[in-house]
Amino acid sequence: MASIQLRINGGIHTLDVDPQMPLLWAIRDFAGLTGTKFGCGIGQCGACTVHLDGVAVKSCTLPVSVVQGKSITTIEGLSPDQSHPLQQAWIEEQVPQCGYCQSGQIMTAAALLKKNPRPSDKEVSNAMSGVYCRCGTYPRIKKAITKAITLSKS
Amino acid sequence: MKKIKRREFIQLSALASGGLLVVGVAPSEGGEQKIVNLVNGGQSLNQFISIGTDNHVILYNHRPEMGQGTFESMPMVLAEELEVDINNVEIRPSEANESLYGSQMVVGSRSVQSEFMILRKMGAAARTMLVAAAAQKWSVPETECSAKAGMVVHESGMQVTYGELVETASKMKAPENPKLKDPKSFTIIGKSTRRQDIPVKTNGKAIFGIDVKVPGMKYACIEHCPVWLGKIGSYDKNAALKVPGVTHVEETQRTVWGRKVDAVAVLGDNYWSAMQGKKALNVQWDDNGLGGINSATIVNQFREEAKKSGEVLHSVGDTESVFQRGGTMVEASYELPYQAHVPMEPMNVVVNMTENAAEFWGSTQHPNGVRTFLSTKYGIPRENIRINYTFMGGGFGRRSMTDVVEEAADLSLKINAPVKLIWPREEDQTQGPFRNCSLNVCRAVLNSEGNIEALEHKIVTQEINNQTGDNNKAGRQIMGGVTTEYQIPNMTVRGVLQKLHIPISYWRAVYHSTNPFAHESFIDELAFKAGKDPLEFRMSMMQNHERYNRLLNETARITNWRSGKRPGTGRGVALVERSGAHFVMVVEVQKKEGLIRPVKVTTVIDVGICVNPDTVKAQVEGSVIMGLGAVYAGLTVNNGRIVEQNFDRYPILKFNQCPEIETHILESTNAPDGAGEAGLPTIAPAFANAIFDLTGRRIRKLPMTQEDLKA
Repeated sequence: MASIQLRINGGIHTLDVDPQMPLLWAIRDFAGLTGTKFGCGIGQCGACTVHLDGVAVKSCTLPVSVVQGKSITTIEGLSPDQSHPLQQAWIEEQVPQCGYCQSGQIMTAAALLKKNPRPSDKEVSNAMSGVYCRCGTYPRIKKAITKAITLSKS
Repeated sequence: MKKIKRREFIQLSALASGGLLVVGVAPSEGGEQKIVNLVNGGQSLNQFISIGTDNHVILYNHRPEMGQGTFESMPMVLAEELEVDINNVEIRPSEANESLYGSQMVVGSRSVQSEFMILRKMGAAARTMLVAAAAQKWSVPETECSAKAGMVVHESGMQVTYGELVETASKMKAPENPKLKDPKSFTIIGKSTRRQDIPVKTNGKAIFGIDVKVPGMKYACIEHCPVWLGKIGSYDKNAALKVPGVTHVEETQRTVWGRKVDAVAVLGDNYWSAMQGKKALNVQWDDNGLGGINSATIVNQFREEAKKSGEVLHSVGDTESVFQRGGTMVEASYELPYQAHVPMEPMNVVVNMTENAAEFWGSTQHPNGVRTFLSTKYGIPRENIRINYTFMGGGFGRRSMTDVVEEAADLSLKINAPVKLIWPREEDQTQGPFRNCSLNVCRAVLNSEGNIEALEHKIVTQEINNQTGDNNKAGRQIMGGVTTEYQIPNMTVRGVLQKLHIPISYWRAVYHSTNPFAHESFIDELAFKAGKDPLEFRMSMMQNHERYNRLLNETARITNWRSGKRPGTGRGVALVERSGAHFVMVVEVQKKEGLIRPVKVTTVIDVGICVNPDTVKAQVEGSVIMGLGAVYAGLTVNNGRIVEQNFDRYPILKFNQCPEIETHILESTNAPDGAGEAGLPTIAPAFANAIFDLTGRRIRKLPMTQEDLKA
């Protein structure tokens, strides 16, 4: 066990945990932020995606010891009032079905748009193919990302 | 948070002042739901409709939400008859209470289908009472009053809000058979409406079972024998207990279709500790002599069994004598693998067992089934069991069972604390119960005009309802999805029941997810053999079937079928009826980047009255995508174990594999059908038929291989 300091959504959390514990469990079980989801535990499905210094990472395989001092953003911290263009577009296009994977989808898309405000279809496809959705919301995710790009411009 | 508190306050003050209109349904003796006035009946909770004196309308939705969208479509039906603006009401999940709500189980695309009329009556009864209250207030005949947008309006122009009427209305007796609206005047049903559960699913606030935390709770991770029905050999309990945060190691059991399955659980103060403890256990399993089974032995067994005549499950004319006479005989066999449900939210529950009482929190398709299970197994009175159902992170049939609840309840009793049990993905994917694997053998004789004279479809598979015991006769359950509506003069469906220790269960569309691949591929093979266009061939056999006939004609029109295919593409068609919904699907394929890929899926559907068209379209998209995933991947058994343990080996469909999906809903005034699954059965055969159209290669085995898909 070790004392680990995490900066999540601008707040400092001091946790006494196994340094090997993946960030996902620190966020969920210790920081109490449950919007970030457990899906596979092997960094495959993307349900656990958060931002690390603005970059999308899969938190289920990332030990807390390596993220100390970095800025972590979860879905809860994406925008102060859930008004991120992607969140608006997700509602406009009625994307979620069960909703479980959607934090991972939105965080992945948000990191992409931050880096590249006008991604090509191919770039969107490459980024989003790392986040699985069993309900099959991909066609709407595609539309919503296109809409969010338009919303961001206006 | 402030908003919720305000609403709670309103509800409480409304209750206190009696200004609350409550109408509920209760199942009568015969099981038929009956409208009752719950206020008069002395029950002021568990209601469907409540209206505060401030006009705040709350509609209670009694069916758990797993992505199917009934969170909105059920209240839409209430709001339609109640005459309130659906976008200006609050929707809340109801309590799990079968004495008030009847079945709350969400399976088989049934919710809208089975609840449509009762919800209409509920809304209409409330509206009738409000109108009567207004008439009383104004001393005018009720016939001079009508309800509109949360108000009662008199011919003279006088109007009064529902909020001002609830106190009087709530004291009136609910009418048993209120007058329903003419469907022609529907303003909510049939209009795409935004789902109220969606905003919380974009900001992390939606609470799923896995997010529940209760005081004193321990987290449990679990390991089952990789060989199904294997026994616990040895394990290192002390090594697990040495892991920081681990507090307990306990053996437990679950029951799947009457069979007991052993497991070892590690419990701790957080889930990561429990996971680490599980690793340290180093369980040695005894495979119970079942380690010699693999996919090849199962297929060989099924092929051998296919030689049996089996049970006749459906019969028209005399297929056998046509076959004996001879003619152009066509024969083909199709194979499908086991599949896992893999909802994105791994299986999990929270259970707290206390003295003569129990509480459950979690994702379930069957809240009252959980209560029945806990009450029966532990002898706890039903009223002492509290069921808190949450949003589900997908279900697909897996969450209709209570096996995970059983393990958590047992663990809670053993450690005397609430337990949150989460199955790691590997357990979820390898432990089943699975979608059945299947061998389908089809034979047919074509007459000189190239029409089907006789057809036999033999299904060799396991049956969900008959997995153990001595009855070895196949039942009708296994022929789900075999279209019997084609006008074929002689047709027989046979079943040869297989019993294996590998458990199966309901998976989205159930047998409709296997049999149509064979049946609709075979119809295509026959069309080709007869030298006929596959869509026209189907039309010729559906001329007397009103719904299919209309759908096939519309499909031809919408897809420009008769103008021929676009250069470089192949087209395939398939049809199905599932839960009353009739679907015709056309898949267009193209060679792209070395592979044959589906580029466009067009589905023309007749679901009766469509309550929320956008939700139905979403369900078709989801069904196509889940079905396409099952075209590309399946489970393999090797040495008695499932080989594909996680998403790396069992990839569900990804974003970059998703075709364009277009859905056309035909207008209908028939009662609503179930639309949550019917898009799944046709994708595999329509895709395979399209590949044949493009390449001449007939694919009869799923999952398709890289070789099958090579451009």
